[in-house]
Amino acid sequence: MNLFFLSILIIVSGGVLSLCLLTRFTQMKMVAVGLIGSGCVIGLVDSLYKLFHPVSYMASFNYLNAFAISFETDGLSAFFLVPIFFVSLLAAIYSFHYMNNPGESLKTAVNYLFFGVLIASMAMVVTASNIITFLLSWELMSLSSFFLVIHNHGSPANRRAGYLYFVFSHVGAMFIFAAFGVMYSYTGSFDLITAATLPESLKITVFVLTFIGFGSKAGIFPLHVWLPHAHPAAPSHISAVMSGVMIKTGIYGILRMYMLLDLNTPLLGEIVVTAGMISGILGVVYALAQHDIKRLLAYSSVENIGIILIGMGIGMIGVSSGNEFMAVMGFAGALLHVMNHSIFKSLLFMGAGMVIHKTGTQAIDAMGGVLKKMKVTGFCFLIGSLAISGLPPFNGFVGEFFIYMGGFKGVGLDKTAFVLSHLAIISLAVIGGLAMACFTKVFGVVFQGEARSTYKHTLEEKEPAMLTSMIILAALCVVIGIFPGIFFHMALKGVSALGLGLGDVPMEPFLTMTGNITSSAFLFLCIFILIFALRTRLFKGKILAKAGTWGCGFTQPTPRMQYTGSSYGASIIDFFKPVAPLKENHPPVSGVFPKTTHYHSQIEDIAEVHMGNVIIRPVLWLFDKLRFIQHGDIHLYIGYILLTIIVLLFFV
Amino acid sequence: MMIKPLILYVLAMLSAPFFSAVILKVKAFFGGKKGPPLLINYYTLIKLFKKGAVYSTSTTLIFKLGPMVSLCAALTVLLFLPMGGYPSVLSFNGDVIFIFYLLGLGRFFTIAAAMDTASPFEGMGAAREAYFPIICEATMFMILVLLYKLTQDLQLNAYFSGAQPAGLWSIAGSPMFFVLIALFIILLTENSRVPVDDPATHLELTMIHEVMVLDHSGPDLAFIELGSFYKLFFYSSLVARLVFPFKPGHFMLNIGQFTLVLFMVYVAVGVIESVMARYRMDKVPKFVLTSFVLAFFATIITLEFIR
Repeated sequence: MNLFFLSILIIVSGGVLSLCLLTRFTQMKMVAVGLIGSGCVIGLVDSLYKLFHPVSYMASFNYLNAFAISFETDGLSAFFLVPIFFVSLLAAIYSFHYMNNPGESLKTAVNYLFFGVLIASMAMVVTASNIITFLLSWELMSLSSFFLVIHNHGSPANRRAGYLYFVFSHVGAMFIFAAFGVMYSYTGSFDLITAATLPESLKITVFVLTFIGFGSKAGIFPLHVWLPHAHPAAPSHISAVMSGVMIKTGIYGILRMYMLLDLNTPLLGEIVVTAGMISGILGVVYALAQHDIKRLLAYSSVENIGIILIGMGIGMIGVSSGNEFMAVMGFAGALLHVMNHSIFKSLLFMGAGMVIHKTGTQAIDAMGGVLKKMKVTGFCFLIGSLAISGLPPFNGFVGEFFIYMGGFKGVGLDKTAFVLSHLAIISLAVIGGLAMACFTKVFGVVFQGEARSTYKHTLEEKEPAMLTSMIILAALCVVIGIFPGIFFHMALKGVSALGLGLGDVPMEPFLTMTGNITSSAFLFLCIFILIFALRTRLFKGKILAKAGTWGCGFTQPTPRMQYTGSSYGASIIDFFKPVAPLKENHPPVSGVFPKTTHYHSQIEDIAEVHMGNVIIRPVLWLFDKLRFIQHGDIHLYIGYILLTIIVLLFFV
Repeated sequence: MMIKPLILYVLAMLSAPFFSAVILKVKAFFGGKKGPPLLINYYTLIKLFKKGAVYSTSTTLIFKLGPMVSLCAALTVLLFLPMGGYPSVLSFNGDVIFIFYLLGLGRFFTIAAAMDTASPFEGMGAAREAYFPIICEATMFMILVLLYKLTQDLQLNAYFSGAQPAGLWSIAGSPMFFVLIALFIILLTENSRVPVDDPATHLELTMIHEVMVLDHSGPDLAFIELGSFYKLFFYSSLVARLVFPFKPGHFMLNIGQFTLVLFMVYVAVGVIESVMARYRMDKVPKFVLTSFVLAFFATIITLEFIR
């Protein structure tokens, strides 16, 4: 455990030291990135070692003799620690050139401070072994990420996004508190492990409460509302960490609770799969409808959380119906997708950050032609897009492949299990198709074609730190896609720690499956090389002419004539009209000499709309009526405190 | 054992352009014309291979990658295709998932190559190419669920080679009939045939696949054409095998009957193209959804009545 604490200490010290070096901007960044980075490397090495040597590593500290702060690392924790440290490491490197405004020295230093705290708290969340430690780390994580979201607090939209995130993470935390409260009142112990002793009915209550609580962090529909607001507001490397790994702590929480509660009812799998299908499909539909590149990526995270939940749900159904293969496939596929998503989503956020940095806009329909000038970013983004669309031979395919295998196994079962596995398979297929539409849109409109507006800076790639991070992530997308073996083994270690009654799941039975993916990927590459050779041969000595794009007879094309992202997605969105209503703002053209008019279209998120109508308005109304309590008179406030104490003393 | 599938693979690679010409011939017949020779596609390919190419100034490397990747995906998929009752060259547990995702990879690059040209028409075609296959994919996986339920296996070989799908017909005839129609609708949609898309139309606004390749020329266009021949061959072989699920015994006889049935499938596509008009764009999703509904019914029937 010592290396783990050492890494956390180094990471936090990197954040704190940056505050001391305010006046020297570059040195400050070097110290912060260097310390956070090296802390992450130590943590990464340590967690990889622990993952492959699965013993429980424990450490406990007593604070003021009131309660113990204790940590424990098993396979599941170690599995989640790997992406946490890895993505944070690359995000830290990326930030070195991303945070490049010496005039904002203080803001940058504060950003590094909270970044360090965020990494440390995420690592603590997945290793906490009692209620107090867990909640402490959880709150630390929520608060530090809140401060990171409002990094650019000058703009009202960002402050609003931060506020929304604050509300959501605390309402979510409230549910977790409630669940732990129920647990504590029954067991009287702070240890998480005692959850197994709860009676069956309480277990379900606790699971549902934590599912809501962790779900709001993970971004499960309809609790995802904060995500599309917070991600565009945060700096890109922070979005990468938040979307890539922080929301996965929600998934970790659900998995951990599932493991601790040790419930064998089919209900859990049913809840999780259903939530997964809804998040997956609606997430990607909303993603397709977005005009802002970072909002789009945020919705796409909702979709991927959906895929992960589908995998977990299939695993849970497998467990409750006693189908071991299905259980292992579902959970391993889900865990693999957790890792894969952390890789390609942070890659995409970093790529988007690079583009936004140069073009000075986040609007997809204002961009275009970026690939011609920014080749490295463009091709990294392309690899990320292919991976997130779940296409072989990239890593996104691998996780989905195993989830499919589990799902098909479930088709062999009866009744509810059959229906849900069936629906899960169809949903995965639809999600895959929609994700492809979504990312061909982003790539096609942002990177390809011609520029649709004039950009803020010249498009050039002079930031080696940012490029390095993206290249490493893109390379990993390909490596996992072609050689999934070792990574699947890591996922299996995580599954073993879940304690499904399977002991240490051996790798051998699955070697052929991962081997098949490797050999078919190789086969594909071989055929590709042959075709490439043929093409080179065919073009040998030929004259290649350059001309304008065929305008179908029109001779004066302008970049404004290009198909926009909004039109690209329009017909698909129209298909999903009931869940994705289109709101148009378009004053009619009138009069003999019509004035200039405008057109604004937006796809409404039904969760956001209904949550506003059903929950927020009544709550606001109620609180408005209760305003008289807050009168500003200190005497009465002291009275309230006294009254509360008396009530607590005598009646509870 | 491996030699027969390999022979079939090579034959398929060589003969796919011929079969596509059958459609043209049928259409010409219905139009009262003589039509192009049956070897027209070979002549076109050779002509295109000999040519140079013109590239739009808007395009990037992706534009050149597109044709290569889509051809590569189609060729790889053919390796997994069981033909004439013989097993495919390659197969593994779960290969169906790999196959349909690989076709998705080909589509991704076709779309990306179209978006690369900055042409409004190609963007429009790309948007449609991204839309309709989503429904096809849902149908395909619905069919796979059904076939898995019947065979407990996840390989094309298990459904289309050896004693299958004759065995499937005998245990689940009515669902298989629905599957056949659904698969035929997928064939028409995925390969951009009438009534989803008209490959012979002259107005760019109404095209799907053809408009996406407007700017490709020379060997690049040849690759695209070849890729689409193979893709059509893949789906047609599946349909042909479903229509005539038997295996006469002798290798030559086997190939003969398979070729004949395959020929009939292409003729059917040609006939549909001759007697029907393309649907209005907003009607197309409904047409494709029909296949989904059919596959759905097939699954329900299997679940309720067939054990």
